[in-house]
Amino acid sequence: MTELLPQWLLSWLGEDWSAVLAYITNGKHLAWYASLQYTLIAAFVGAALALLFGLMGAAMKQARLAPLRWIGNGYTTLVRGVPDVLFLLFFPLAFEQAVEWAIAQAVCTPEQLATATGWPLCADAQWYLSHAAYMTMACVSFGLVYGAFAANVIHGALQAVPKGQLEAAQAFGLSQRQVFWRIQVRQMWVYALPGLSNVWMLLLKATSLLSLLQIEDIVVWADRLGAPNYLAMVGAVHGDWRWKYYLVLFLFYILMTLLSEKGFNWLQARASRGMARAN
Amino acid sequence: MNKKTLLAIALVAAVSMVGSASAADKIRLGTEGAYAPYNFVNDDGKLAGFEIELGDALCAAIKAECEWVVNEWDSIIPNLVAGNYDAIMAGMSITDERKKTITFSDEYMPVDPSMYIAAKGTELSFDSLEGKRIGVQGATIHAAFAEEKYGKTNTIKSYEKADQTLADLMAGNLDTVLADGDYLKPIVEGSAGEIAFVGPQETIGGGIGIGMRQDQTDLHEKMNAGLAALKKSGKVDELIAKYFDGKGPFYGE
Amino acid sequence: MDALLNNDIIQDIILLAKPALFNIYFALAAIPLGFPFAIILALGKNSKNSLLSHLSAAYVYAFRGSPLFIQFFMFYSIALVLNKPLWKPLGIDEFMLHPLFLGPLVLVLNTSAYAAEIFYGALRAIPKGEVEAARAMGMNKWHEFRTVTWPNMIRLAWPAYTNEVVFLFHATALVYFTLPVINDQKDLMNKAGELFEQDYNVFLHFSVAALYFLAISMVIFWVFNRIYQRLTQHLRQDAKKMAFKPNYLR
Repeated sequence: MTELLPQWLLSWLGEDWSAVLAYITNGKHLAWYASLQYTLIAAFVGAALALLFGLMGAAMKQARLAPLRWIGNGYTTLVRGVPDVLFLLFFPLAFEQAVEWAIAQAVCTPEQLATATGWPLCADAQWYLSHAAYMTMACVSFGLVYGAFAANVIHGALQAVPKGQLEAAQAFGLSQRQVFWRIQVRQMWVYALPGLSNVWMLLLKATSLLSLLQIEDIVVWADRLGAPNYLAMVGAVHGDWRWKYYLVLFLFYILMTLLSEKGFNWLQARASRGMARAN
Repeated sequence: MNKKTLLAIALVAAVSMVGSASAADKIRLGTEGAYAPYNFVNDDGKLAGFEIELGDALCAAIKAECEWVVNEWDSIIPNLVAGNYDAIMAGMSITDERKKTITFSDEYMPVDPSMYIAAKGTELSFDSLEGKRIGVQGATIHAAFAEEKYGKTNTIKSYEKADQTLADLMAGNLDTVLADGDYLKPIVEGSAGEIAFVGPQETIGGGIGIGMRQDQTDLHEKMNAGLAALKKSGKVDELIAKYFDGKGPFYGE
Repeated sequence: MDALLNNDIIQDIILLAKPALFNIYFALAAIPLGFPFAIILALGKNSKNSLLSHLSAAYVYAFRGSPLFIQFFMFYSIALVLNKPLWKPLGIDEFMLHPLFLGPLVLVLNTSAYAAEIFYGALRAIPKGEVEAARAMGMNKWHEFRTVTWPNMIRLAWPAYTNEVVFLFHATALVYFTLPVINDQKDLMNKAGELFEQDYNVFLHFSVAALYFLAISMVIFWVFNRIYQRLTQHLRQDAKKMAFKPNYLR
């Protein structure tokens, strides 16, 4: 990469800094920077899905039908009652097996199904997962876990919408469904935002777990870069540099939190326009 | 779950399956990417090493399209069996224990004694090793061996990656590391005298081969035929000499 | 009896009992240190001394703003680098790098930041009138802290702190993803993963592990609720019962 730079800049940097610059722009480092895309995709797609699942969960929690309420409450209680990493790992594995089981019912012979001891049930019932598939499942995983958190926040916010507004809408002849989507959901954002910002922070930090879901993310590359190397054929020979790279990740996440906070403050200010204020 | 979710999930599954169906005749090779010089990620950020070059040559020889999949070592066999890839080329020794779950091709690297390393100046009496910290990579023949031979009176620390044992050894958090001799030799040479071989050599396991699922008889035959051709042409010996500093030849005429 | 023992679920519950102890140990080891440290941080953040309050606030921000997963990796690698220059000369290298010590240590650093934020919020919510009354009575600083600030802070913060302890317990699941495993010291996640790799029964093993986490979380809620009842004994009429998972956000 440094060969792209003008000579005067390199001579101004001096030999040592030019070497450092060349090192931190080598292919391995570029791969590290590029892997940031997975963290960001997982965060944003995961957040969008979490919002979707959160809305659905909240709607179920206040449903009239008791079984729906049970599902809603069961979902939020169960997912939040276990460590996020457990469910994050569980979902992709379970989903993969469910798909392979379904394939097996279609392609395996009855004898194979009857005698199968391990997994998959027969050789043809194999679902190869591409990187994109792993990524998709990771996003859904994040959506499911943080959707449960979001459901609680949104449920609380829906309850916070003044009853008078809903009754007024009903009096205007809006149906139950219309009141929910057009009035209650639209009005609840301002109450939900602080909580949702909290969920976003949790989700953002959880993206560091992507490496456990078969994604070559920033943590995987940081580990590769920092690992000690004694072989010239592999690349630069150095001792254990992991702490440097993890320190960078540590600072990176703090920076992301800082930016998110600014973003949510701006959103909150926008959402609160026209709202009555106590102070 | 409502209809939309089910639909979304079905869609994801469908898309992924179409993707995999078109790639069904592709051979996926699983490797660790952290075990130089067998397989590693170089400074260009690319997968490289003895097994990467050999695997590519093998795929060319059997006229197959291949794709490398990097997988952590400790789950490399389970993920082969679960079908995330079709074959393992990751410096894996052929052992009876592993043969219970997977099958191996013919070896492409002969058995090599495992060795111990320690920081320079360390005195260890391996006949009566006691209270020492022995580092190994988890799920390896070395882990099993160390556990059995020294586990009772010593602390066995297992790590996910082999290079973590080196980092801990250099930092003084381990007394010795047990690993493949071929993995350790370049490290001892490259450490400028900081690390030295100690103690006996242990012959554990067999040569290194390609791990495959037990029902993959077709692939098994293909791989063996390919390996035989590459051994005959001298390609395997050439690559061994290139990556392991003049070792061999083993398979030449 | 034999049929019962051969049941897959019972088998798993037995197999995962010892690993569960490791998770419990990590949480139990982290709480007694994390609690006072959090109080100190909260008082620091609330302090009038601007250096002290900025330092405490920065600490709380950094540890709440970054993933625990990264903190584990970072502290292990830093502890490793410091082994020769620092731990060895001090003679504490044996346990500084031991997961059973370093694990709880990182958990303490992490949970104290979250708990500090909770206590800080409680400090700011202490009724002004009570503080003024204490001052009017001529109490000195320490006396005022002991009789007004402390009991109010703990009582106000307790429900949220309970949540934090449950979160801390859940966070113990990350320890062995990041630190080396010594001999056969394995936690719930570790063992569940190992069992899964033997027979691929993801539903069974992960569900039983989840069951352990859920059950122990319940116990934590029960114990902390009992303490809460005692703390609010004098306020019997308006003391609210703590619900299972009141406000489940970290």
